[in-house]
Parts: sequence; C-alpha cells; structure tokens
Amino acid sequence: MRRAVLGIVLLLPLLAPAAETRKGNNPCEPPIEQRKSLRLPGKETRELDTPCDPQRLAPPRMKPQKLPAVPDRWRIVDSLPGYSNNILDPYHRNVLKADKPVMGDDWFFLFTGISDTVYEPRRLPTPVGIQTTGDADQIDIFGQGEQTTFNQNLITEFALIKGDTVFRPPDWEFRLTPVFNFNQTETEELRVLRIDPRAGKIRTDDHAGLQAAFADYHIRNVSPRYDFDSVRVGIQPFNADFRGFLFQDNQPGVRFFGTRDNNIFQYNLAWFRRLEKDTNSGLNDVGEPLRDDDVFVANLYWQDMPVLGFFTQATVVHNRNREDDFFFDNNGFVARPASLGFEKPREYDVTYLGLNGDGHFGRMNLTAAAYFATGEATKGVFVDQPTDIRSWFAAAEAGWDQDWIRYRGSLVLQSGDPDPYDDLEEGFDAIFENPIIAGADTSFWIRQAVPLIGGGGVTLSTRNGMLANLRPNKEHGQSNFTNPGLVLAGLGTDLDLTPTTRLSFNFNHLSFMNTAVLEAARQQADLDPDIGWDVSSALIYRPLAIQNIVFRLSGAALLPGDGYKQLYKDETGYSVLANLTLTF
Amino acid sequence: MRIYGCLLLVLPFLVTGCGGGGLDDGGCDGGCVDNNDFLSAGDVQNVMARSVREADARGANATVAVVDRVGNVLGVYRMPSADTSVTITSPYPVDGGLEDLAFIPASLAAISKAVTGAYLSSEGNAFSTRTAAQIVQEHFNPGEVGQPSGPLFGVQFSQLACSDLTLSNSDAQRGPKRSPLGLAADSGGFPLYQDGTVVGGVGVIADGQYSFDADLSDDDFSLDEVIARAGAQAFPSPDNRQGERITLEGKVFRYAEMEPGDTRTSGNPPALGSLPGSTVAVNGYFNGTIQAGTVLGQPASGIRADNTFFPDRDAFVLVDGTNTNRFPPTPSPTGDLTQNEVQILLDQALAVAERSRAQIRRPLGTSARVTISVVDSNGVPLGVVRGEDAPVFGTDVSLQKARTAAFFSSTRAAADLQSGLTANYLQSTLSGGAPVVDRTIQIGDYVSALRNFLGDNTALANGVAFSDRAGGNLSRPFFPDGITSAPHGPLSKPQGEWSPFSTGLQLDLVYDNLVGHVAFVAGIGPSPGTGCSNISRATGAGPVDPLANGTQIFPGSVPIYKGNTLVGGIGVSGDGVDQDDLVAFLGVHRAGQRLGTINNAPDSMRADRIVVDGTRLRYVQCPFKPFNDSDAQNVCQGK
Repeated sequence: MRRAVLGIVLLLPLLAPAAETRKGNNPCEPPIEQRKSLRLPGKETRELDTPCDPQRLAPPRMKPQKLPAVPDRWRIVDSLPGYSNNILDPYHRNVLKADKPVMGDDWFFLFTGISDTVYEPRRLPTPVGIQTTGDADQIDIFGQGEQTTFNQNLITEFALIKGDTVFRPPDWEFRLTPVFNFNQTETEELRVLRIDPRAGKIRTDDHAGLQAAFADYHIRNVSPRYDFDSVRVGIQPFNADFRGFLFQDNQPGVRFFGTRDNNIFQYNLAWFRRLEKDTNSGLNDVGEPLRDDDVFVANLYWQDMPVLGFFTQATVVHNRNREDDFFFDNNGFVARPASLGFEKPREYDVTYLGLNGDGHFGRMNLTAAAYFATGEATKGVFVDQPTDIRSWFAAAEAGWDQDWIRYRGSLVLQSGDPDPYDDLEEGFDAIFENPIIAGADTSFWIRQAVPLIGGGGVTLSTRNGMLANLRPNKEHGQSNFTNPGLVLAGLGTDLDLTPTTRLSFNFNHLSFMNTAVLEAARQQADLDPDIGWDVSSALIYRPLAIQNIVFRLSGAALLPGDGYKQLYKDETGYSVLANLTLTF
Repeated sequence: MRIYGCLLLVLPFLVTGCGGGGLDDGGCDGGCVDNNDFLSAGDVQNVMARSVREADARGANATVAVVDRVGNVLGVYRMPSADTSVTITSPYPVDGGLEDLAFIPASLAAISKAVTGAYLSSEGNAFSTRTAAQIVQEHFNPGEVGQPSGPLFGVQFSQLACSDLTLSNSDAQRGPKRSPLGLAADSGGFPLYQDGTVVGGVGVIADGQYSFDADLSDDDFSLDEVIARAGAQAFPSPDNRQGERITLEGKVFRYAEMEPGDTRTSGNPPALGSLPGSTVAVNGYFNGTIQAGTVLGQPASGIRADNTFFPDRDAFVLVDGTNTNRFPPTPSPTGDLTQNEVQILLDQALAVAERSRAQIRRPLGTSARVTISVVDSNGVPLGVVRGEDAPVFGTDVSLQKARTAAFFSSTRAAADLQSGLTANYLQSTLSGGAPVVDRTIQIGDYVSALRNFLGDNTALANGVAFSDRAGGNLSRPFFPDGITSAPHGPLSKPQGEWSPFSTGLQLDLVYDNLVGHVAFVAGIGPSPGTGCSNISRATGAGPVDPLANGTQIFPGSVPIYKGNTLVGGIGVSGDGVDQDDLVAFLGVHRAGQRLGTINNAPDSMRADRIVVDGTRLRYVQCPFKPFNDSDAQNVCQGK
C-alpha cells in the first residue's frame, strides 16, 4: 500500500488531466488557440470524430473583469471571511498541505501521514523444524501451515517544495519519508520465523525505514508548455514499467528525467545502488552497508502511441551485481548466495530490454509488458562455471468496462530453464518486482512465499512476487535465472457496487513453464507442471468515497494441482488480508 | 530451445507448462554390473601410474592406494620421498580426539580415502571424499551457519577394523573390508567406474595432512585431489552420476573442485615400473603384490544375491568363504525375536525401500538402495540384507545404527557405559618410538552429562525409545543442532574440542581400538581384538559387546518392541537419512501389521517426549514424496 501511494505520487504528473480547452461562442468554431495558431500550456485537443451540432448551446463566455492585483492567490483567501487555518484538517487550507508558503513567497511544506494496518491469516506449506518440532509425534516433513501476521506501518512524509506548484513543476523539492513499522507473525511450527528453533513460534519485530530522502532540482524548462529536465538525487521511488514487473522500489540513486514535445515523450536516465532491506518489514535498512548491486535505467515513454490513450515505453535496464560474500538475513537464514545448488557466491550482469504499454484501445483497457534478459554470471546455480543468461517475460492484462463492471483477462509468461546443468540460464527473473496484475497481492501466489520444502532455502515465488524464481526472499536475495518459470492465465472482474464499495474476483490458473529445475532441486522425477487454481475475492470499502479511509478485505485460496500435490501435502492454501489505510 | 517448444504448446491452452526429464537417461541404475566389471591387476597399475605421473609432474610425492568396490586393497604405491606418516588435523584449532596424531601411516590414509570413494558410490551416485567432507560437518553446507549438521554426521567412524562385520585380509577377497581410519573426508579419494558401475576407488595423500575442507564457498585446490583424479582418468565416474547432479535440500553434493581437464597429465601412462617409487606392503591390508579386484555380487566379493529368504525382492546378502549367508535371519539367542520375525522385518523394510524415492541416486525416479540390519536388544546381529547396488558403506553403518537404537533404548545402557570404560587419548607424536597416553576420558562421564542435561537421573536406564535421530540430536556440537549460540549436546564435545575427528562419545567409545589398530599397522603396538566398544554385557547367552562395531549418530534406525518391551533395533543406511528413517520405521510398522507381535515404540515411550529448554528431540523424519509410485505425503504420521 505504501508503495502504491508513493507510486501514485510519482505518477501524478503523468496522469494529470489535460487542461480544459476553452471555446468561442460558436459551438462549431475551432478552439481559439487553433485559430490563432498559438501554442499554449496544456495538451493539444484533437478534433472529435463526430461532426459538430450547430444547434447545440454555446458554452458561456466570461467577460473579462478588472481585478485588483494581488501578489499571490493564497492572500486572496486570507482576506476572505470564514477561512482559517486548521493544521488538523487536510481538506481545507492548511499550511501542512502546501496550501500556503512556509517561507518567503514560494517555499511550501507538505506533510502526509499514512497508517497502513494489515492483519493476515494464511495457510501455506510449512516444514517442521529439522532438528526439533513443536509437538511430539511429528515424524514427517510437512507440519501445520496456519500462520498469522500483523503488520503496522506508519508512513510519514515531509516535503519542502520551492515553486508555484499549481502551474508548473516546482524548482526544488526535498522529500523525506520515514516509515515506522511494527510486525508480529505467529506460526504453528518452529524454525519458520527464526533459524533458532528456541526463538519459538511468535516473532515480534519493529523497524524504522527510510523510504524516501531526495532532493529534486528542476534544471530547466525546454518549451512554453513546461517540458522540462529535472534531476532527483537520493532515495526515491521508481518503477521501471507500468506494473512493477521488473524494478519497483525506493532506492538511492541519481535520476534525470523530463518531458519533450508537450509531454508526449517522457524519459528517465537513472542509476540506483540498492540499499539492504530490513528482513521482516521489507523497509529500507539504512543501518546496513549499501548492497554491491547497481541498477542502470534508460527509458522513454511515448504517449498516444500507437493510439490515443495508450502509453508505449521502451526501456533498457542493466543490473550489475557483485555480491560475493555470504549474507544472512535478520532471522538467521542465508540470503546470499541462495541455499540452492552449489551455494557458492556468484556475481552477474544482466541487461533487460523491455517494451511496455499501458492505456486503452477504444474501450479496451490494456497493459502489456515484454522483457528479454541477457547477461552472464560468474557461476550458475547447479553448475560451478560461468553461465550465460537468456530469458524472457511477457505479460498482458486486458480490461473491458461495462457500466459498473470491469472484466479482466490476464496472461503472464515467464521463461523457465529446461536444463539446470548446462551453462545457459533460461529462467526469467526480475530485479525487484511488485507486480500489479491478476489481482496482485489479493492472489495467494503473489502474496505468499511458499517454501520449496526439501528443495533448498528458497521459495517458489517470493512474498509480493509473482515470478517462480526460487529466491530465498525478495528483500535480500540475488536474482535467480535458474528457475522453473511460470504460466499464469486468469480471469477477473471488478464490481463497483456503490461509489464506496468495490468487489473483485480473480480466477488464475498457474503452472510452471518447465519443471526441470524443480526436479533437480527436489531430486524428484516427473513433476507435473500444474500448480493449481488461485481463486480470490476482494472487497474494498471507502466509507467516505475518498482514498483517505480505505478498508480492504480479501481472501484467496490455492486449489492445488497435480504438481503442487507432488511437492506438498494435498491441502488448500489460503491467504486473507484485512487492510485499513488511513491517510492524512 | 526447449522453452520455445513449450511455449508453442502452451499458447493454445494458456494454462499449462512443461514437465522435466524422464527416468531413463541411458546410464546405469543399479543393475549393470556383470562378470567383466572388475579391476584387473593391469587396471590397478594403470590407475597408480597415472596418479604417480601426475604427482611427478607437479613435483609432489604421493602415496596412492587402489581398492575394489568391497574394499580389497589391490595396490599401494609409494613415491620415493613421500611422507611415511601423515597428521590428522582439522583446518581450525581443535584439542582432543584424533586431532594432531602425527604417526598415521600415509598408506592408511590413502587406503581409507580409496575405500571411501568406492564405498560411498554406486551406479546411481558417484561420491568422493570431498562429498564426505560436505556431509559430516556441523552445518550442511559447512559454512551455512545455523543449518543443522551434515546428513551423514558421524559416518567417518564406520567400517572400522574393530567391527564384527567388516573383514580383513585373512578373509580372502570377501568384503566389505575394513577401512583403517574409517571413512575419509580429505579430498583425494574417488570411485573408479567401468561400464557405468563402480569397480573400486583410488585414494591419494601427498600433502602430509589428513584433513577436510571446511569452506565450500571458495574455489579450492587440493593436491591430493588432482593426483587422485588423474589416477581415475581411465575409469571416470559418469558425469550424470557425480554428486554435483544429485541434491539434498536443494544443495548439490560436491564431487571435485576441479575439472578432469585440470590435470597436467593425460593419455596412456608409462609402465608403473618406469615411474619413481614402488609398491609397499601394508600390514593387514596389502602384501606388496598388485592384485585384481572382485566383481560385486559374486560370492568372492562377499556379497551375492539372496536365493532363500527374500524371493520377492532384489535382495543381496553377505557370505563367508563357503558362500554361506553370514547374517541370515536368525532367532535372538535370548528370545527377543524369532527367525520368522527377523525375516519379515527385513523383507518389509526392503519392500519399503524398493518403493522409496531415492534421494542420492540418479536417474530421478529410481528407488532407494540400502542395507538393512536387525539386532536383538543386546545388539546381537540377527540379519543383514542389502538392496542391489546399495552403497557398500551402508552395510557396516546399518548394523551400527541398529545397535545404537537398541543400545540407547535399553535400560542397561547407562550401566554399560558406566562400567569403567575409558578412552586413552594419545600424544600427537611418539615417544621413544611408542605412543604415549596424553589424557584419559571416562566414558561414564557422558552418562552424567546426559542426565544433567536432561534433568533426569534415570536417563539411559528408563527405557525411553531412542532412535538414531534422537540420539543424534544429543550428539551434536550444538543443541539444537546447528545453532552456534547453543550449548553442545551432552554426548558431543564442546566447541574447541569438537571436530569430525573428535565427535564425543561416538569416537571415545572406539578410540582405543581405532588408534590401537593404527598403531598395530604402524608396527608400534599390538593388534586389538574384534569388538569396538569394550563393553561386555552379560546376557543369558553369554557376554556380548552390544556396540561391537561402534555407534552411529546420524538418522536411520529405530528400536523394535513387543508391546512395551524392547526386543531389538533396525538400522538402515545407504540413501538419504529421511529415506533411511522411513525404511526403518515403516519397515517395523508393516512387519508389525503382518506379524501382530512386534511394533514401533509406543508413542509415549519415544524420545520425542523429551524437551530440553524448549527443544524437543526428534524421533524420525520421513521424507517428502516418499514413494515413487504414489503422491502420498506425511506417510509416517499416526504410526
């Protein structure tokens, strides 16, 4: 949720609606700016396909009036009766909400506070402790899988902004986002939460993370429509594509970005060096040394390409990893290298070539992504020799709105490695995914990290991750291109029952692209690729019909297919999320 | 480009992926061996010549040993300046056990390494001494702190000369032969293969140290390893059987830290006689004349197919010089078990094994091949049976395990251990050509330590049912296993005194006999007799050593009961330890269903009732996906 909010903040400039076009008295006359062939701020309007009806009423025309000059707009309000400052009220004029300068004429301060509370009962395959068990008579591998997690994030965001924020991008922005976390997880088995079984079945942890700390400088405007070049330095949110398939994170870096041609083109040139995460909160841990892992990004967004209302983005992302030391997470489990295969430290260079799109074709909403990953690693997973990486990923989600109903269809293909013993790694993996597709974290598969019990200290897919990538976890692990890959095909629907209530359903079928890697890891023959059906439902309730109070309740079940049954007990997994988000 | 083929298949259906490889990979899976699969004397010379040539090319001086699959020493070759003695040492400072003993004949180190290569391997798996190092340390993998110990923790102290199961030179070429230092973890011991089947092993020592690799994360170089690998050039293990193609807990077994091409020499070797050095006789192992090896499965090897007791199984038995089964199903001399009960126990356990998914064998989908031993409550062997092509090491180990379960579950265990036994640790070097006792360990102290640890003054006398897994929990340098902040198990040595060469009660029980045998071979001491533990337990059928081939401390055994009465133990070895547990536990369960007379320990008597500081002992752990012919999971619960 936190990431979603930050993502929205980032994307706001992209999504801001074009300024309304004023028209003359004759309803069929072209817009005034076209008549004068002037370029003015705002997006150009294209002629509607339908012919103008000369009988329709012309819009009213404002007669210009002389007003006394005032230095700025907020001082107008100052002089009006009935307006007062109340710093506790985010909906009216508030100096904390950048409604009025705090210094000089154009230094604004913005505070945002978000409380994000999650309670999560779940059941997933869980091993008994190897060297001890909670109960007597536990004489097999698979234990009781019921678990619960309570997670509380308090997100505080402080921004100092220089500039007239309404009409053009600010000149300077300084932003700091400390997040305070408390989490508690309870399991039925020992050694799930901490490597030391004496630590018991309940883990309580807290962390203060820094999810943003950047300075943003508006270098210059390059056109009358405020196309611009900016640079942002520090810990900042970034999403390499539209749906968080490759790299969506808050990491320290330097990013040049801007627009051209009246915002038709947007670009990013960025370098990130990743922070270590706190294991249990998933937040940045600035107390740890930076990871020896760099992400270089160059991308270009092309608006209305190929059709009006559709963004196309092309990107090149390079991930350079030089993490050649053992790293154990806060719970004592080895995270780098993964406890899989040779378990030797390895380094890699991977270049991702991506083509992404998001928008709509007529009435059909569509998001699509395609990546090709190529690179090399100093060692493979199951081979003790240098390897080449060649893998791919494709995803698409189409939606169709019919009144208050949206129908969705999703397809995700992740290449899998057909031969773990050759020098070619053909499974796709991302850098740091936060996928928003097929129900996102409503889905069992995406939300839950199912351990590959008996097959290494890795999970089938990470928590809040979709790729079947056999990583120890998303927070610390390295990318793993020796993996089984995934085929996800899903149908879903969102029902906007009332302005305050949305009900969603998702039916996803999952299977591995190729089970050869799993068979090697588990020393098990003829694994069926069928993972099963991931069936979920979500209710979103916004009592005030605004985003400041959002309650979400979702439940998902994984109905195991043949392959899943061969890996684990024949038991339906579930994942329930109760989530309350309060935003100031 | 199988991926793309898969994709094409996938697209029309949008819902499915592709499965992996099948069962048949064109290699051997346990039934390949025929009458031609043995090392000839010429083959032995070939192996030794290649090793000597490689050592020479590297300016090294090596001692090379070649054995057959059942441990017959076919040749020992010593280069002119090779060390005559080597030092046992861990790569970190340790005080106690075998550490720092500097009078170990190099020939014994080489033999132990060769035996290890041969004994751990099969048509389904090629393991080396490096593999052994990976699976006997305090974490698996070594270096992955917090992980429990290696799955074969303690296996190094098996195949001992004091064992009543292993044989010596006086038993012609019948095996399984003893290994003078037990199994080796020092790099430089490999199996030798011919036509996909194991025909022997080669062991080399050239660096003066009998040690092990404790860091698996680096790219290691071992002089011993490269010389041994050169020796194996003409008899290489199949690529798709090497440990690196086999996983346990997702981790591959390490076979070698080198590629075959990393040797400096290759091609047909010169005649052995033209190379520096000569064969050297080793007292009790090799008379100086290079000889041919045996064919596993033929009576001369001491192991042949059963033709009497297990008609429905691929069963093999141990035989003596008259081709008579050495360990046929036999009634207990004290009446614990009948001959029929023993036979059904072995048969049912073998039946479980034949259904089980092998954890250490290729191709995937083959069944576990293990050795099963049954003893009575006094540790008297009542029957031993092997699956075809089961790794040979499991023969002695299965008997150790059966005895360990029966012994520690007995109410007489404490008294036996407190009967004045000692381990007399020797000084690292000789004094006046003779070993000198450095300090004496009282075996009985382990009982006190255990009772203090458990807070139970009746422990080892109260009849709690100890499986090998449960006893093993108490025999690790950390309790709970693998947790470095935890205290040591009461049957283990503490940190600073623990290493694979100093395990605690397991070694101390056999120390005098193990080291005494080494001293005998070195010509500096008398030959100790047969029987490893020196315990003499009075029974209705006379005194017995209930741990006559030592104890074992990794999983794969359970005690056997009639109602609440201990009547024996069953031990299984040769595949993954969870498989070993499964075969032992389910074997007893199913035999009990058949017979109605025997059973696993009643739940309330099992050691998993014992909890120390919140850490509960384990009884057994049956594996995931236990059977090849079923997707059933958790098949042991409730039994």
